[in-house]
Amino acid sequence: MSSNDILDMYIYETNSLLEQLETIVLDAEKENTFSQDNVNEIFRIMHTIKGSSAMMEFDTLATVSHRIEDMFFLIREGTMSVVKDADRPALFDVMLHAVDYFREEMEKVEAEEPLNKDVDSFLANINSLIAKIKGEEPAAEAPAPAAPAPAETAPAAPPAAVPAGPGTGNPDFPYELRVFFDDGCGMENLRAYMLITSIQSFCSEADFLYEPAAVESDASTSEQIIDNGFLLMFKNADDRERSIPVIREAGSVHSYQPHDYVPAPPQEEEAEEAPVPQAAAAPKPAAPAKPAPAAPAANNQQHQKESLISVGLSKLDQLSAIVGEIVITEAMVTASPDLKGLHLDAFSKSARQLRKLTDELQDVSMSLRMIPVSNTFQKMNRIVRDMSKKLNKQVKLTLIGENTEVDKTIVDSIGDPIMHMVRNSMDHGIEENVQDRIDAGKDPVGEIVLSAEDTGSEVIIQIKDDGAGVNDEAVLKKAIKNGIAFPDVEYSHKEILNFLMAPGFSTNQQVTEFSGRGVGMDVVKSGVESLGGTVSITSEQGKGMITTMRIPLTMAIMDGMEVSVGNSIFTIPINNIRSTMKINSTDILHDSIDGEMVKVMDGYYPVIRAKDFYNLPSGTDEIEEGILMWLESGDVSYCLFVDELLGEQQIVVKPLPAYVNSFDVKNFGITGCSILGDGNISIILDAGGLFAAARGA
Amino acid sequence: MSGINENVLFQIEEDTPEIPTLEETVESRKYLIFITDDLRLGVDAEYVVEILNTHTATYLPMMPDYICGIYNMRGQIIPIMDIRRRLGKPSLESESLLVVLNYNGTQLGILVDSVEVMLDIPNASILPIPSQSAQKLVSGMCTLPDGSGTMLVLDCDQLIPHE
Repeated sequence: MSSNDILDMYIYETNSLLEQLETIVLDAEKENTFSQDNVNEIFRIMHTIKGSSAMMEFDTLATVSHRIEDMFFLIREGTMSVVKDADRPALFDVMLHAVDYFREEMEKVEAEEPLNKDVDSFLANINSLIAKIKGEEPAAEAPAPAAPAPAETAPAAPPAAVPAGPGTGNPDFPYELRVFFDDGCGMENLRAYMLITSIQSFCSEADFLYEPAAVESDASTSEQIIDNGFLLMFKNADDRERSIPVIREAGSVHSYQPHDYVPAPPQEEEAEEAPVPQAAAAPKPAAPAKPAPAAPAANNQQHQKESLISVGLSKLDQLSAIVGEIVITEAMVTASPDLKGLHLDAFSKSARQLRKLTDELQDVSMSLRMIPVSNTFQKMNRIVRDMSKKLNKQVKLTLIGENTEVDKTIVDSIGDPIMHMVRNSMDHGIEENVQDRIDAGKDPVGEIVLSAEDTGSEVIIQIKDDGAGVNDEAVLKKAIKNGIAFPDVEYSHKEILNFLMAPGFSTNQQVTEFSGRGVGMDVVKSGVESLGGTVSITSEQGKGMITTMRIPLTMAIMDGMEVSVGNSIFTIPINNIRSTMKINSTDILHDSIDGEMVKVMDGYYPVIRAKDFYNLPSGTDEIEEGILMWLESGDVSYCLFVDELLGEQQIVVKPLPAYVNSFDVKNFGITGCSILGDGNISIILDAGGLFAAARGA
Repeated sequence: MSGINENVLFQIEEDTPEIPTLEETVESRKYLIFITDDLRLGVDAEYVVEILNTHTATYLPMMPDYICGIYNMRGQIIPIMDIRRRLGKPSLESESLLVVLNYNGTQLGILVDSVEVMLDIPNASILPIPSQSAQKLVSGMCTLPDGSGTMLVLDCDQLIPHE
């Protein structure tokens, strides 16, 4: 494991702990108390962060987490009742502040920037809180010197443990294992700590001891390990047996020696006695750090971890690319022109089996990239909390379907749009005055509902608030002022709502900290569209507003309809197709500007001829010879005229070469391409983009 | 090529205080010489991925006329450019060859009439093109070592725009 891997692991672990911490604190704030479980959990989180930060030599982080750990040590000892009601808001604030602080520092660590050294004011905050919690205790015990006491005894322990040479032992833990690391591999204490962590995943902390005990926090133990090896002592022989493969697999392990503790002959007992209590005492100073009540929780965590591995996203991308190739190659083999006219029973049987397996492989490789949206959703809790405090509005956030799983890249990119919409609802949606809500017969506490739903082909994310809704007149006025709308044109309700998503539109008079910086909904729109999705807004004045984002579940593989225009083959996503129909040229209506329309069901829709729009060299012009496809994307609905439907196919989306994209083909509704079974290429059309381009042209 | 490099390395080790100029370190480069519309063009062989004689371009709409389309080379999508059209000449009716280039990570296939030879050209013999010449896509020219003609050096920078 290189030091970079360790750093990555550290960042990853700390960030997930912070997420856990934030959730706990936000939930606890609603209850206005920490349950004993929560306290244990926070204690454990802080302890882990402290330990790993000290290991990575991020001293400020270790100091801060140490102090918070101290605070929760007090709370755990005296239960939540030691924190007076009046101090609780401060406690929650400090904890959230701490989460923010650690996150910021993690970003700096990731960016390899120097850390913020000035943590004094923050520490003072924590210290004053500790002082308040300790309020009843004698005043003589000043908070500052008292605070470091519980855990700082740990580094003091190693000197006492030094005599623990070969020959030490503990009758309670008779099964010893002495591990030697490679000469000069460095950071022996850290490597030893990693061994402990992996052993803890199957062996409870009470069942083994290790020496030197302070490997986690004291780098000087390295020398001891170099000289005497790292001694592990187990209660049960089984545990030792299980540790051996772990140790063998660990990096830089030079050798290991199992050794059973034999009670010393009587005459040596006195001499032996001295080291024994020391060995037993060694873990003791660390006891406040690894307390018994927290241990079961920690163990559970370890067991859960064992069934999960983290894999680099680039490896997954590589996997999906290869699986995509396999799907294509499979089609190329089974549909090979060489097989035409042959009746190969055994071959078709095997081919069917292959098809089934590749389908399964594809499903599995896709599911690997799927993660639940819950993390993104949980973050909104914090935003709602902070904003309701700042804006003095009472709002509760309800999450629905947070376990919905979507592609990792989508989860990463929907965070900002969702945050934007939630802020928007908080800022503009929910009424300024509680009285306004009561007068309107609504619950005085506003509600924002964030929901996710998986429809099989796309994920629908809705942000719904029960606020004042959109004031059409105000929006129109603003749109006219900003030159987006024309004063003498009648706009429908739907069109007015679309102004909200026009670039540079923000209805709020004032620029606030949270929203209204002139960039707004248009960012949401372009963000979602870059994922191949659509955004729509519905609103009823006085009732609230609903923003719906529809995002395809995965962008890598999709169902498409292959159509031909002359020699060219295009793929249109199945999701965009409402229906297809054969019509006569007499059904085509002409408008005054050479546009064509057709009546489908109860509406008139514009007709776009693919051949003319794309200036294709071949293809039919006769309406009777071709076929009309009724397409829909977001708010647009129109008919596309093509030559022939070739059939539905699952395709692997490939991006167009960067060189081609530099000619802005995306603006003409050409979003990508796909390799067909016979090796030819079909061009994937984006129904919305095509219409926008045709309109603009 | 490798022999030359070894010599160069040796030289650098011998007289370290002297910082060798570009001419001294890289004395010559290999060029792939091909014919397009009676012009003899050379492209640095380092950029050439492969030469294909059968290919089918898929027409891609909304592209400049010199982009014939895209081609599937073993799963990689490669745009194809007709050098003749790029130079403002009519394209060749008969079969042409596809030379696939990779320039700074951008892949591009260029259609050429025929490929002649791969040659070592001393860097010193490549001269700038006359400033009054309006020849596009060329960064220099040189007389071939065997005296059989003149080669124009294809300028990949102009051919493949990069960000």
